[in-house]
Amino acid sequence: MFSAKNLKYLTGPFSANNPVIVQILGICSALAVTVKLEPAIVMALSVMVVTAFSNVVMSLLRNGVPSRIRIIVQLVVIAALVILVDQVLKAFAYDVSKQLSVYVGLIITNCIVMGRVEAFALGNKPWPAFLDGIGNGLGYGLILVIVAFFRELLGSGTLFGLRVIPESWYIANGGFYSNCGLMLFPPMALIIVGCIIWIHRSRNKDLQEK
Amino acid sequence: MAKKFKCNVCGYIHEGDAAPAKCPVCGVPASEFTEVKSEKKGFLSDTNSNAYIVVYSTVMVIVVATLLALASLSLHDRQYNNQLNEKKQAILTSLSASDKNYDEFISAQVLDAEGKAIEGVKDAEIFELLSKLPDAFEAGKFPVFKAQDGRVVIPVTGTGLWGPVWGYVALESDMNTIAGIVLDHQGETPGLGAEIATPKVQATFVGKKIFDNGQFVSVKMMKGGATNPEHEVDAITGGTKTSDGVNNMLSNSLRNYLPMLQAKAEVAVEQNAELSNEENVKDNE
Repeated sequence: MFSAKNLKYLTGPFSANNPVIVQILGICSALAVTVKLEPAIVMALSVMVVTAFSNVVMSLLRNGVPSRIRIIVQLVVIAALVILVDQVLKAFAYDVSKQLSVYVGLIITNCIVMGRVEAFALGNKPWPAFLDGIGNGLGYGLILVIVAFFRELLGSGTLFGLRVIPESWYIANGGFYSNCGLMLFPPMALIIVGCIIWIHRSRNKDLQEK
Repeated sequence: MAKKFKCNVCGYIHEGDAAPAKCPVCGVPASEFTEVKSEKKGFLSDTNSNAYIVVYSTVMVIVVATLLALASLSLHDRQYNNQLNEKKQAILTSLSASDKNYDEFISAQVLDAEGKAIEGVKDAEIFELLSKLPDAFEAGKFPVFKAQDGRVVIPVTGTGLWGPVWGYVALESDMNTIAGIVLDHQGETPGLGAEIATPKVQATFVGKKIFDNGQFVSVKMMKGGATNPEHEVDAITGGTKTSDGVNNMLSNSLRNYLPMLQAKAEVAVEQNAELSNEENVKDNE
């Protein structure tokens, strides 16, 4: 069950096959939800769950899906899954569902979910597909957390909403420090993702394009 | 029907009961031949035939639709109760009275355009109005929630950057000072416009006044920082459009309640006047 090959599906997306910085999937949502750490983590967890389960469902259906309409089938499965989960949360865990309400649309359209279904689940058995989904969700979450860490720390001076940079440092209170307002805007997320890709490629020579 | 055998080397197809001893095209022995299984000619055997695709997508749509409809129907009551509870809790929160029992502490009313209470509206209907507040305002129905201690809570609604924003404004018994505010939104940008839903932003509204010498001015979120401490608060950095939406929401929604607010404020002034008269009388004595 956890053979070396299966573990590779799980851990590969952390670095060598990372969905964001190597496969370049899910960039748009990475820009939208990384202003603070908390929404970034909520988003990463939901994407992980949805990727894992849509992978399993599509892997079970893989032999019957007509290849000509497979993208439509994938979209229906993913959207139905997300809406179903949202409905259940609204009934049984209302607070969580309020947190997630913004992300429902972002999850359905997240290219990681569809990318993994298309690239992996359609050609593999359910268990490896499940591990692949979890792995890619974690790899995505890793990048989101790194980006959100810098954006929240430098943009708001807080981490998880708790103050890290003392109030007395700020110019308004007679100090020398001021938050970087650019950090609050999406372009800065793109720049940080770019920096991560830069560092990652310089350490993994085999990923560099010739 | 004769079996078919295919040569693995050149692709020649031989028909007969057994593979030929030698391939007539390339000359390899019989061991290089494999039997070609005759294809099943069933209606749905080819997953790319039009018939299969039509049947597949029809079945898929029916299954998914049934599933979602079932989930929606069976969970509706629980979801409705959750939403009702959330509204009651938001009203109590705006009054900083989360520990109080809603049913004991608050009485709900619907006002008409002149600020008169419409008789005989049930609580359930009032919450129904709250769910479609813009329509209710349009129809001249203005729900209001009165606390036992004389404060009132006014529901407000408007549009932010991406979608609806709404909230509850609690006014002190002078009908002028904001006692508390609860703001919520559907899809404002997380970390920017969505900050209006945080207690930190909402706390800045407390103590602001919506009237300036009897003139209705509402409370504004000012880009670049508040300059007038009576009627302005700081806007959200990077959330200017959402802040503008909140300004319009407060101004437009509160305006609907002006007749009620002014009538109540006069009563409060008279009461204060009586009180100070009594004090004066006491002082004189």
